[in-house]
Formats: sequence, C-alpha cells, structure tokens
Amino acid sequence: MRKTLRQMRPVYVVGIGLHRYQRLSDTPYVTLGLTAVREALNDAGIEWKSVESAYTGTAFIGMAASRPMLRHLGATGIAMAQVENASASGSTAVRQACLDVASSLTDVSLAVGVDKPGPIAGAPGKTNIHDLVGRRVVPFTHFALLANEYMNRYGATAEQVAMVAVKNNRNGANNPYAQRQKAVTLEEVLAGPQISGSLTRLQCCPVGEGAAAVLVASDDAIEKLRIDRSRAIRVTASVSRSERVYRDAKNFDAELTRETVAQAYQEAQIEPQDLDVVELHDAFTIEELLYVEAMGLCGEGEGARMISSGAVDIGGKCAISASGGLLAMGHPIGPTGTGQIAEITRQLRREAGARQQPNARTGLAHMVGVGAVCVVHVLQKDS
Amino acid sequence: MPEPATPSTELFSSAAQPTLNGRRCRACGYVFFPPQSYGCEYCGAPTDQLEPKSLSGLGSLASFATVHLHQGKEIEAPFTVGLIVLDDGPAVRAILMQRTDDGLKIGDRMRAVIVETNSEGGRARELRFTKEETAR
Repeated sequence: MRKTLRQMRPVYVVGIGLHRYQRLSDTPYVTLGLTAVREALNDAGIEWKSVESAYTGTAFIGMAASRPMLRHLGATGIAMAQVENASASGSTAVRQACLDVASSLTDVSLAVGVDKPGPIAGAPGKTNIHDLVGRRVVPFTHFALLANEYMNRYGATAEQVAMVAVKNNRNGANNPYAQRQKAVTLEEVLAGPQISGSLTRLQCCPVGEGAAAVLVASDDAIEKLRIDRSRAIRVTASVSRSERVYRDAKNFDAELTRETVAQAYQEAQIEPQDLDVVELHDAFTIEELLYVEAMGLCGEGEGARMISSGAVDIGGKCAISASGGLLAMGHPIGPTGTGQIAEITRQLRREAGARQQPNARTGLAHMVGVGAVCVVHVLQKDS
Repeated sequence: MPEPATPSTELFSSAAQPTLNGRRCRACGYVFFPPQSYGCEYCGAPTDQLEPKSLSGLGSLASFATVHLHQGKEIEAPFTVGLIVLDDGPAVRAILMQRTDDGLKIGDRMRAVIVETNSEGGRARELRFTKEETAR
C-alpha cells in the first residue's frame, strides 16, 4: 500500500549549516560545501562518521561533485550522489535524505546544496523543438509577461508588485547568510535599472555561489547520538510534482504550485491558515503574489493587497520569505531549496534572532524549477 | 522498420496572411504549437498520431513586456515580446513589430507578419506579430 512521508517512521531535521550566498568568487566549491556541512554537524552535535548517506544538490558544478568535497570530512565509504532538479535541486536533495531515513535505510542522512553557477546549457535547449522567440525570452521576461497579465487582470499596480522586494530585502538585512543584506525603499526598487516589463533589477534575484546543509535523523539516532530533541524539527510532508497540461488554466506556474501545495497540506494534515512561516520561490517579485494565492493564503487577486497589509511581514499572520527569500538571500541554484529548510528549522526552533516569527510552529518550503517541477516540504515543531 | 515520415519543422507558412504550422493529436484532439513529433504531451499518443494543423496568424494580445536587458547578438534591446492567444487556440510568444509598448494594451487584435532578419548565418525569415490597425 502507498504511504505518505508522515505515515512512515518520523524524520527530523537535527542539524543546519550554511556558507553565505555571495557573488561568484575564486572560492572552490569544496570550501563552500564543507563550511555548510561542518556547521550542520556542529549544530547537531554529531560526528561525520554517524552520517550514513549524502545527497549533493547542484546544477552547475559538473559531474561527480560529492566525493571530491565530502572526502575531506573523512572517507567513511557512505552512499553519496548528486541530485540535479534545476532550481529545485537542493529541495530534492532534502527529499532524498528524508526518504532514506523514513524508509529505515539510514538513521542519519545529509542533504547539501552547493553551486557555482556558470554558462552551462540546460537540456530544454537540446530537444530540437524551436519556438518563435528562442533565447530572446529568458526567465525574467517569462515573469514580466505574467506580471503584466496579473496587473491587468486584478488592477494591481507596479508599485504593489515591487513591494515584495521591499519586504524581502528588509528581512534579508537581518540574515548574515544573505547575498543582499541591505534594506531598500520602494523608490529605490522602482528606480531601476529596468530589466523587462515592469521588473527592475531589485525585483530579480541575485544568482551567486554558496552552500546549505541539512542533517535529517530518525528517533533512534536522536536517542543513540544524544541529539537535543527539543531542537529537532519534524518533516511532515515531502511532495514532488511536475507540470501537467492545464488546458483551461490561466497560469501554468501557479497551477503547478497549487496542486503540489494542496497535496502537501493533505499529507501533513494542515490547512493554509496553520502556516506561520513560508519560504517560497520568489526569484521575481510577481512570483510571490502568484504563489501566496496558489497556496490559498489569500484569495485570487488579493496577493498584492496582502503584501502591502503587513500580514506576511515578520510578526504578521504568516511570515513569508523571512530569510529574505530568493530576492535578498539569493538564489545560488543548488543550495537554495536546502537553505529554505535551514531557515524554517531555525524559525521553528525560535533561533532566528532579529527575523524571528513569534510562536512559529508550522512552516512550508516551496521551490519550482525549469521544466517545470515543484517540490514542497512541510516542517512542524512537535507539541 | 523505416522511420515514420516527419512533417517539416518549419514554424510558419508564407501566404498573404501567414499561418503557423501547429500539430493536432488524432487521438485526443489536442492542438499545439510549436510543432514536434515526439508524442502528444496531453495523452501520450505516439508520432503517427500527430498531424499537421495550420493555425491562423490572427489572435489577441494576452500580455506583453518590453525587454531592456539582453545579451544575445541576434536582437538589440529594447524589443517587445507578446503573448498572443491565437484564434485557433494555442498561446504563442513572439517578438512584436512594436519596439516598445507604447500604444499596446491587453486585448489588442494581433496578426502575424514575416520579417527578414540578419542573423549569424546570413539573412533569415522569422514570424513576428503586429497590432491590427483598427479601421475607423
């Protein structure tokens, strides 16, 4: 019989670590990744030899990234592999680690996202299917088209869309791991430079380098390794889906998110109003509006008003992109989805300092990737 | 077994009013553009079920965006991209004849035009869209 993650044995995040997201530099990916993994091991209070499998979320480093990095922690002979799922690579690495523990194949598993984005052509350009625009439409124009359509449909303004960048940069200013750590005004966001349609530079996420690591473990491991149970955060849903043909849908991106998140709610047995913190794929400002609606956090067309109302600020009903999101924390591709799990874990442990969402108990992490794919996790603090 | 004959992958056909070369799935009726012969994305029917389907080059503008930043050499920014819902169903993205969004609005009637462009391999023809002049 099929089971959901929640119906298998419990899986907990027990350790988190990051290397700051930053502009591309000469720092080797090995240094980025090891910094994050060592921080996660310290955080969990366990040794590398206790880790039984490792998944490296990465899209740009190239073949065989894991062992040349992880051998420097001591070559213990454990299972390791790379996970590539476009922007959702790091989320998928977390999912694979969770599945190992949930299925009892391991007691402790590692997901580490690490990347140094470069000019590597993706497979979608190699299908030999051509359209009328080719490379003249890149992601920022895809989302500029959706922004224009959204504003026209609901009477939202360019200022309301740009407010997402104001909020997320304010959050990112309090995140030492964020690539952009500076609060910006609405005027600064709108001042440009213009990129595409109504989208300005600060409404598009920075793509740099970095790393994020998450250690997941079973109850047995928590017991045996004497991990602090009060800081362990349970993963209650892990859902991975890909786009279908939505013949009547207005917006494929929102539709894929809608059905993936709906399945995650069902598996975790929660409702949208239970969420205290959400990290979502805000690579471009307009996406946050589309996805808060698709997640059922507000009604259709109400996203712009919800952002301006303060309801999704830290301290509001549900803090969205408390880390700064992709817009401020950054989007180094491989690490991004793993970093979201680290942020939600920090929030649910109440260890997020200046960006702490009060009384956070339930969080959701959401990434989409070119293709398109969507990966969603729900994390909950045990009562 | 011989490979099934693959219809041309040309994207459009020349005529006084150009048409787009779409495909239709015989099994489920799904009509799509751009053309491909790998299999139906909607129902999974194989190559031999996908037949050519000419799509009218007329439609309405569902969205548009003027691109201010572009790195490729094949076109210079600013240029404007439109999302056009064809009267025959599929939505397509195309470069618009209007270089900026001045005077464009969602809902505008659009028609396809063939233009000569200079690409790396010499002169090429491509399909763009332009706003229909309303007769008043």
